[in-house]
Amino acid sequence: MKKTALAVFSVWMIVMMGAALPAAAADPVKIGVLVPLTGIVAQGGLEMKMGIEMAALEKKTVLGRPIELVVEDTQLKPDVAVSKAEKLVFNDNCKALIGVFSSGVGLAIAKNIDKLNVPFLTTHVMTTEFYGMHPLVFRCGQLANDQTAVGNVKGIVDRPDLKDRKYYVIVHDYAWGHDAGKRFIDLAKQNNIKIVNEDFDRAPTSTKDWSSYISKIKASGADGIYIAFITNVIPIFAKQAADFGLTKTAKIVSAAAPGPMELEEGGEACYGIFGASDWSWDVNTPVSDKWEMEFWNKYKTIPSDAAVHSYVGMMNLLNAIEKAKSTEAKAIADALRGISFDGPYGTVRISAFDNCARNDAVLTETMAAPANPYGAKVVMKVLKTYKAEELGPPEK
Amino acid sequence: MTLALFVDITLNSLVLGGVFLIVAIGLNIIYGLSRVMNLAHGSLYAIGAYAGYTLVTQKIPFFVAILIAPLIVGVVGLVLERTIIAPMRKRSMIYTLILTYGLMFALDGLIKYTWGNEPRFMAMPAFMRETMPILGTHYPVFRLVTLLITAAVMAALMLFLGKTKTGITLRAAATIPEMVSCLGINMTHVHIGAFVLGCCLAGIAGVIAGPLTTIDPLMGHGMLISSFVVIVIGGLGSLRGAVIAALLIGVVQTLAEFFITDLAMVIVYMLMAVILAFRPRGLLGEGKFE
Repeated sequence: MKKTALAVFSVWMIVMMGAALPAAAADPVKIGVLVPLTGIVAQGGLEMKMGIEMAALEKKTVLGRPIELVVEDTQLKPDVAVSKAEKLVFNDNCKALIGVFSSGVGLAIAKNIDKLNVPFLTTHVMTTEFYGMHPLVFRCGQLANDQTAVGNVKGIVDRPDLKDRKYYVIVHDYAWGHDAGKRFIDLAKQNNIKIVNEDFDRAPTSTKDWSSYISKIKASGADGIYIAFITNVIPIFAKQAADFGLTKTAKIVSAAAPGPMELEEGGEACYGIFGASDWSWDVNTPVSDKWEMEFWNKYKTIPSDAAVHSYVGMMNLLNAIEKAKSTEAKAIADALRGISFDGPYGTVRISAFDNCARNDAVLTETMAAPANPYGAKVVMKVLKTYKAEELGPPEK
Repeated sequence: MTLALFVDITLNSLVLGGVFLIVAIGLNIIYGLSRVMNLAHGSLYAIGAYAGYTLVTQKIPFFVAILIAPLIVGVVGLVLERTIIAPMRKRSMIYTLILTYGLMFALDGLIKYTWGNEPRFMAMPAFMRETMPILGTHYPVFRLVTLLITAAVMAALMLFLGKTKTGITLRAAATIPEMVSCLGINMTHVHIGAFVLGCCLAGIAGVIAGPLTTIDPLMGHGMLISSFVVIVIGGLGSLRGAVIAALLIGVVQTLAEFFITDLAMVIVYMLMAVILAFRPRGLLGEGKFE
């Protein structure tokens, strides 16, 4: 009798365990996606979300489990972003956080990372403060301010049409803009590039009418303008500068890549904006071309750098979880250090030294687009490619 | 400061102040005549800009769009007034304040749903895309046209309110509504007229501000705040006060952006605080509508 009871109990246990195993295997790995979906950069946030989603769909599973993205809108506000991050981690049980637009927002989350205790990988924060900031904080996406400044200064020095100009520097008035302006000016001075206003202008992010600033630039006699504006604002400034006839004499060099949808709206007024960036749809490699077409077929949106950065960042994060064979925070973070992904803009490696990405970049100029599958009228034409080692920073 | 720079700054101030003025006067008329503090006014200004953009995109000439778009905003205003505002009119002002605050978000959502999030650039006629030499500077023709439009709108409004029977009735209704009502004038029509007129003015401002600053779903928020500053400085209900305040804010903001970039908006609010400290009802505010 006892043997029979034991046998029945054993069979029952096996059945229950068998039933439980597929359930556990089906538990999704949740990733918290923090992007701005309202406010002035909502379009950029939407493109970031698309890139992250594309990577998740491509990978399908991680650790044999489905991937679930939990998306939250940061509204581009640091306090909101921190609340949303807490909700994603403590309520939704997300194992990592990805995305984030704006250095102010990124720094706010990074400062709370001990409490959050999950890996946070930003795809868009450019401030140099992220280098080696915390073992759980990573950057893999848009070039950092120092890397952009190196690319732009190299571009200015290399190009006769940019070299012998006097540059007026104007930035958006927040952490990233200040950092970008300072980085450029320091490097420009070392390379004998003339700067008109070393104590650069800081315009509020709410600025709609740029006429006062444009009058100031005209009055300064500058024939070059270095701007560090939120991507969506770049074409707006360029359009107003063109209205005043400023761009007939002055060239614009940008610390951030303009958004393609806004470039389309700005049209001809947005021609002639130079800038170092990771990628443009003018990058013609088989991997890039394939990715662009997949993105276009899926979203019917011009492939943007916001989308591609987010895609690459997400691929590195998912590959790190696979490599870690765990969703435990420290294991993922350890796996992220040194990981690399070969994507649309070449090999993107997260440095084990400072947790920030190293990759090649391109110098681009906006101009009339040749015939293309996306129907785009403006292209960020690739003028030159820089190797990751040229952009730095050193890893020792 | 060179003459060219002085001309640049002066014209920039007038253009900026002109847009503030049209929006603020619309807001002031709505408040003065129907006692509704319309927090959705900025969103109606944005709808004006998007309506103008859509018309121009459909190959309708800019100068025709500037006539049609305000009418579209007027119709939107009429619908809002009849369906949402009017039922609340007899309640305390706090009700309409909260109601129009919610309306602002509803209209912003509608704009995003209809036109998307990305900024829009309104195409202008070829001659307006040029610059014109004026006293040593080259100033965009479009901005000069904006100044002329602002002046024309203000002149038409002054004539309407000062010389026409309807205008005089509106002014009287603002000051002594009971008497106007006793004379057999339907006050509901006055309220509707005031709301629609205010919305039309927001629409005009939206169309001329579109090419000036580009169009985005939240463009009305900043404008709403600036308009309130104009009204508060000028004096609630005072049209002449609004004119002076709009020009003052235009000049102060432009000069501040030029000379002390970092503190431009702080200076504007400091100016408001100083004026209110000495004249709590604003520059020309007498607590009634002129």
